[in-house]
Amino acid sequence: MATENVSRGPISLTLSRTRFAIGAALGRRDGQAVFGGVTLAYLVAYLWFSDLLAFGGRNGGEFGFVVADDPLGRFFRPANSALSFEPVALVEFGVGTYLFSLNTFVGVAIALLVGLNLAVTYVAWRQPKACGIGSSSSGVLAGIPALLSGAACCGPIVLVIFGIQASSAVLTVFEWLIPAAVVLLVGSLLWVGRQVDPALA
Amino acid sequence: MEGSSRRTFVAAAGVALSGFAGCIGRAGPGAGAQDDEETTPTTTASRPTQQGIPVADDRLPVEYDFEKLREEVLSGGPPKDGIPSIDEPKFRDAGKADDELRPEDVVFGLVRNGEVRAYPQRILVHHEIVNDVVGDEPVSVTYCPLTGTAMGFERGETTFGVSGKLVNNNLVMYDRETDSRWPQVLATAISGTFEGESLREFRLVWTTWDRWKAVHPETAVLSTDTGHVRNYDNDPYGSYVPNRSGYYVRDSPLFPPLGSDGRLPNKRVVMGSRTGSGRIAFDKSVLREEGLLSGEVGGTPHLAVYDSALDTGYVYRNPEGASFGREEGAQGQVVAGDGTSYDPANLPLDRVYAFDAMWFAWSGFYPSTELVGSASESPNADAGLVG
Repeated sequence: MATENVSRGPISLTLSRTRFAIGAALGRRDGQAVFGGVTLAYLVAYLWFSDLLAFGGRNGGEFGFVVADDPLGRFFRPANSALSFEPVALVEFGVGTYLFSLNTFVGVAIALLVGLNLAVTYVAWRQPKACGIGSSSSGVLAGIPALLSGAACCGPIVLVIFGIQASSAVLTVFEWLIPAAVVLLVGSLLWVGRQVDPALA
Repeated sequence: MEGSSRRTFVAAAGVALSGFAGCIGRAGPGAGAQDDEETTPTTTASRPTQQGIPVADDRLPVEYDFEKLREEVLSGGPPKDGIPSIDEPKFRDAGKADDELRPEDVVFGLVRNGEVRAYPQRILVHHEIVNDVVGDEPVSVTYCPLTGTAMGFERGETTFGVSGKLVNNNLVMYDRETDSRWPQVLATAISGTFEGESLREFRLVWTTWDRWKAVHPETAVLSTDTGHVRNYDNDPYGSYVPNRSGYYVRDSPLFPPLGSDGRLPNKRVVMGSRTGSGRIAFDKSVLREEGLLSGEVGGTPHLAVYDSALDTGYVYRNPEGASFGREEGAQGQVVAGDGTSYDPANLPLDRVYAFDAMWFAWSGFYPSTELVGSASESPNADAGLVG
């Protein structure tokens, strides 16, 4: 059983508890399952929302691999919108098509944060004495802006999908979706992690 | 390998990694000779090029102050060159293009300097500009998905790129020589060194692959081997085939347009022409149905003729008001009053440059436009002759 120094400041306490919560969540099989499942599912959703992963299409059933000219030179080249980068490879895997770019790493980073949020939320949920239902759902809620950040990768295209007329203000919001998602996810992780009491673990 | 274009089977991880060395080399041009000149630029002139860019002798009509247009420029989302132009296009012949193009796929056809080329919409929607060389002449083939406009320009010694900016939802191009800004539909620079100058433009034919191939079986077709990787199966704005959907049918433009003109739905396609007499637009769906439409702008009668082979139209000045009719049972032949039969592209009149555009885009840039073929002005369906 872990112990904690009650004389620590609130920031230190929050970090310590969150670190413990992450360790506890990833140390349990059910926590690992939540983390792995959510991270993978989120990454797929993120790539799909960003138009980097598509299913079906006119060439369904084909397997192929194509690389852009000068892939290393293009890897950090901005593409459709803020924090969006040029695809450098295309993979056809029968039922769909995947475009590889730096955005995959952005997506992985966000997906990991969402996965950790949900895993820690799960641990909090398993500690009913320490946590209420309201707080344990915050990890789920934190995933929403992160998922929306996928829209930032395709900029106004998401507006096409929903038939919304864009404005400069809306485009500005898109530019901030990814950084805002990261901030919200880190904040959410600390918020939920803070409520996991090592003494009850 | 070439047969399936950009698709190569992955045999092993090592093969995949070797792709980073460069890979995907493809076909050369497959264009055959073409004698008839289907494109007739009306704004070309003998004026020398300026800083490597050939400009038109006279400025094209612009119905706003440049300052107003500059104020209306907004970011479309992507940064400069975030939508990358194709600068080293590769082509394949029609037979190989059949592997990737469905008959109903939209292509932009070009016949120029003895060469015949098709630029598939499904590729250009991801790049918007192709800096090509056709018959030893440097040209830019451009397409704006948001306004439904495909236009060709002479580019001289420079290349054009996508600025990431829009005006009236229309692609703002920039030249890589001076970074002047050229809204595509206006074909006139609204800022930079070339402010007030117009490009020399030429006609592209908005048609379908099966129609273009039937008329021009020798055509070369732009390859998906563009040097970039994109999912060319996916049109982010919607679809033209099998039916128009998404942005292409929703009434609202993506960004606020320059103006509003309720004479037609926003996304209705017109064939617009800006002439010395004024601006005139023909509703393409009505033209398709009627075969011939006549209208007057600035006191000068104009005639639009439908070409059923390519599902396109041509606009002519018809100052004498000559009468023409459709040949019964024929595929698009036009008959003059003396009984002589003509191909729709070759009437004995002065053909003027016209191109397809969504109505909101055309009327936004040219609010003075005379519209022919709207519901209120649609000619009597029984009328065989117009003029």
